[in-house]
Amino acid sequence: MLDFKPNEKEIEKIGKFSIEEKNFRIENLKNFNSVGFPNKLVEDWKFSDLRHIVSKNFAKLDLKLKPSKEENFDFIKDFEHNYIVLVNGRLTSNSFQHEDNSQIVINPYLNKDFSNKKEKNPLINLNYALSIEGFNLEVKDNYKFNKVLVIYNLFTKDLNENILNSQNRIKIGKNSELHVFDYVINKSEKNFFNNVYEDLYLAESSVFKNISIQKNRSNGFFHKFSKNILSSKSNYSSFIFPLGLKFDKLDLEFNLEGENIECNLQAASFLNKGDHQEIKTRVNHLAPNCKSYQKVKNVIDLDSKGVYQGKIFVKNIAQKTDAYQLSKAILLDESSEFDSKPELEIYADDVKCSHGSTSGSVEKDSIYYLMTRGLSKNESVKLLINGFLSEIIVSIKSKTMKNFIEQKLLSQIYEH
Amino acid sequence: MSNQNINKTKEYKYGFSTDIESIKAPKGLSENTIKFISEIKKEPKWMLEWRLKAYKRLKASKEPDWQKPKFPKIDYQNLYYYSAPKSIKDKPKSLDEVDPKLIETYQKLGIPLNEQKKLSGVAVDAVFDSVSVATTYKEELTKKGIIFCPISEAIQKHPELVKKYLGSVIPISDHYFATLNSAVFTDGSFVYIPPNTKCPMELSTYFRINSSETGQFERTLIIADKGSYVSYLEGCTAPMRDENQLHAANVELIALDDAEIKYSTVQNWYPGDENGKGGIYNFVTKRGACRGKNSKISWTQVETGSAITWKYPSCILQGDNSVGEFYSIAITNNHQKADTGTKMIHLGKNTKSKIISKGISAGKADNTYRGLVDIGRKASNSRNYTQCDSLLMGNKCGAHTIPYMKNKNSSSTIEHEATTSKINDEQLFYCNQRGLNQEEAVSLIVNGFCKDVLQQLPMEFAVEAQKLVGISLEGSVG
Repeated sequence: MLDFKPNEKEIEKIGKFSIEEKNFRIENLKNFNSVGFPNKLVEDWKFSDLRHIVSKNFAKLDLKLKPSKEENFDFIKDFEHNYIVLVNGRLTSNSFQHEDNSQIVINPYLNKDFSNKKEKNPLINLNYALSIEGFNLEVKDNYKFNKVLVIYNLFTKDLNENILNSQNRIKIGKNSELHVFDYVINKSEKNFFNNVYEDLYLAESSVFKNISIQKNRSNGFFHKFSKNILSSKSNYSSFIFPLGLKFDKLDLEFNLEGENIECNLQAASFLNKGDHQEIKTRVNHLAPNCKSYQKVKNVIDLDSKGVYQGKIFVKNIAQKTDAYQLSKAILLDESSEFDSKPELEIYADDVKCSHGSTSGSVEKDSIYYLMTRGLSKNESVKLLINGFLSEIIVSIKSKTMKNFIEQKLLSQIYEH
Repeated sequence: MSNQNINKTKEYKYGFSTDIESIKAPKGLSENTIKFISEIKKEPKWMLEWRLKAYKRLKASKEPDWQKPKFPKIDYQNLYYYSAPKSIKDKPKSLDEVDPKLIETYQKLGIPLNEQKKLSGVAVDAVFDSVSVATTYKEELTKKGIIFCPISEAIQKHPELVKKYLGSVIPISDHYFATLNSAVFTDGSFVYIPPNTKCPMELSTYFRINSSETGQFERTLIIADKGSYVSYLEGCTAPMRDENQLHAANVELIALDDAEIKYSTVQNWYPGDENGKGGIYNFVTKRGACRGKNSKISWTQVETGSAITWKYPSCILQGDNSVGEFYSIAITNNHQKADTGTKMIHLGKNTKSKIISKGISAGKADNTYRGLVDIGRKASNSRNYTQCDSLLMGNKCGAHTIPYMKNKNSSSTIEHEATTSKINDEQLFYCNQRGLNQEEAVSLIVNGFCKDVLQQLPMEFAVEAQKLVGISLEGSVG
C-alpha cells in the first residue's frame, strides 16, 4: 500500500503565501492526509477505486514543484489557431496573434478564494493544498474570437512517479464567444498523476465551446474537477474524446444559474489495454427554461473499464427544464467492464427529464450483414465501432475539427 | 411476604414482569431480551445460539446512513422487542371506538363489516372469525404436502428445513436492520412447497391463524422445491394502525430448479398525519435466491403507506436460465418518504431480469428509486431491462432515480430508461370534460400510469389496489 502523506513543509516550497492562504492550504492538506486517496467505499468513487489504482501503479509519488524545461513539440498545422502552452500544468507561453489583444487577459493563476472551508473531495483538498500556478484567461464583454484557442498541455520526459496539482480559470464576458481546443501531449514514459481544478464562468449570452483530446497514448493518471457557472442565455458545449489514458476521471459540475441556458456535453471514447475512464457529471438546474443534454459513448476492449456517473438536479423553481442523459457502451472483450449510475433528483413538476443507459456487445445481426457483404469479422466489428463513435463526432460543426478528431479516433480503432 | 415483595423478587429473578394480561419482554435490547423471546417461543438451543450470534454481530455494526430519507435517531434501548397479542380487554369493543378516518377509508375500499372489525383490531366473535375458513384451506394444503405455518412453529416441527435455509439468503451479518431482525424476530410465515407441486391457492398471511399481530420484527421464509410454484400475498389494502414505529422485517425466498415464486405486497401502514407527525418506519430486507436452473422469482409491490419506506426486494440469479422480476408502485403523499428499488445480481448464464418501477410523488413527499443491476463475469448472455417512471404532483415534492449498473460480461446486455413528468393538463381537461371531477380524473390517470404493475397482481388484489392508488392521492391536486 502506497502511503502518500505530503508534509506541511512542502507548501513552503511552492511559494511565499499570506497567512490566510497558508492556513487554507494546511487545512486542506490535513483533510487529505486524514483520508488519503478515496477508495470504493466513497460513493463518488464507487466504480473507480483510486486508492487501489494508485497503490497498484505507483511505488512512490513525489511532488514536482520545480518547473521543467519546455521541450520541443509539434504545433498543430491542420488549422490556424491561437495558443497557450502549459508545461506540466504551468503556463509558459501564449500567442493570440489572430485576436485583438486588448480584449483578452492571460496570466498565471492561483486561487485566492479561501471561502470554501468544508471541501470534502480529497482530490480537491489535495489540489487546494499543493497547487502551483496554472492559467487565468479572461475574455472581455462583446468580443468574439476569430480563431480557435488551442491549449497545449505538455507533460515532459522527466516526469517519473510525480504528482502535479494546478488550477485554472476561464471567464467569458457578456456576449463573448470562445472556442477552445484542449490538446494533451505526453512525452513521459513513466507514470505520473495530474490533478487539476478548473473554474469556468460564462456571463450572460456568452458562448463557450470546447473539444478535448489526447495526442497519444500515455502513462498519465488524470483527475480534473471542473466547476462551471453558467449565466442566463449562455451556451456551453463540450466534446470529450479521452483516449489512451491509464486513468482518467473528469468530474464536471454545472450550475445553471440563469434562464434559457443550453448546456451540451458529449463524449466518445475507445478504451483498450487496461484504460480506465470515468466521466462524472452533476448538472444543477437552478433556474427555469434551461436545457441540458449529455451523451456518453464508450467502446471497451481488453482489461479496460468505462464508468459514467451522471446526475441531474432540478430545483423546485426550475420549471420547464429539459434535461437528457444517455450513456451507451459496447463491450468487446470478456475482460471489459462498464458501470453507470445515471441519477435524477427532481423537485419541480413541469419538467421533461429522462435518461437512458445501455451496455452490451456488438449486434450479431449487423456483423452478419457486413460479413455477407464480404468483410471479415474483424473488419465488420471495426466498422460498427467506428459508426457507433462517429455519431458524436458528426455533431461537431467545424469541418477541420471534425476531420482532425476523426483521424485520431480512426487510427486508434484500427491500430489495435 | 407482602405482594410487593413477591413482585420484586420476580423482577430480579427473570428480569421481566409477568403480567397475565400482556406479556412483555424487558425494555431494551440485551442478551436477556433475546433469551426471553427464545424461551417464550420454546425454541431449541441452536435457534437461541443463532440469535445470539446475530446480536453479537449487531453490537459491532452501525446503522446505515447513506439512504435518502433521513430518520430521527432510534433509541433501541427504549423499545419493547416482544409483546404478546393484546387480550380482548384492551381491544376496542366496537367500531364506534375506532378512528372515524380509518372507517371512512375502509368504506371507500369496500371492505365488509366483519373484516373492518378484524382489521381495526376490534374483538371479533369466534363465529365471525375467519378461523374456520383458514382451517379448510389448511387441510387442502396439508394434503399436497405444503407446509404453511408460523415460523416459530416451523422451528419446532421442521428444524431441518429451517436450519438449512434460514439466513442462507440474508446472512445474519448482512446489514444493521437485517441483523437486528435475526436477533429479535418474533414471528412470521414459513412456507415449503414440495417438489413438483403447484400450490392450489394464493397463500396469504391473512388466512393464517394468529396472523393479526406478527409484531414489528417479522421473518418470512419461503422455499419452493424443484419444479414447484407458489404465489404469496403479504399485507392487505386496508390501512393498518400499528403502535410499533419501527418495522424491520426480513423475507427470504429460495427457488430451486424449475421452481417459481411470486411474491406480492400491498403495504398501507400508517403514513403519519398531514404535518408528517408519527407514522411507521418500514425498513424491510427482502431477498430471493434463484438457486436452481430455470427458476423464477417475481416481486410485485404496491407501497402507499408508512412515513418512511426503505426496501429493496432483490433477486440473486445463481441458477442458469433463471429469471428475476420486480414490479413496483410507490406512492408518497404529504411528508412521506420512500426509498425503494431492487437489486438484480446476475451470476448464472442466460439469466434475465426485468424491472418496472413507477413512483408517484405528491404533497411534500420524496420518492426515490434506487436499484442495482450487476452482471458478473460468468453470466454470459444475460439480459436486463429496467424502466423507471416518476410522476410529480406539485413543486414541493421530489422524485429521484438512482440506478447502478455494472456490466462485466461482453455478451450480456443492460438496458435502462427513466422518465420524470407530471400529469398532462390536456389529459386532466379531457377527463373533466367527460364529467369526472379532479380527484377521479387523477386517480384514473395514475391508474393508467401504473397499469404495467397493477396487472401483475393477483386478480382480487388488483381491484383493491386500484382503489387504493386513488385514495392515497386524495387532496394532492386542486
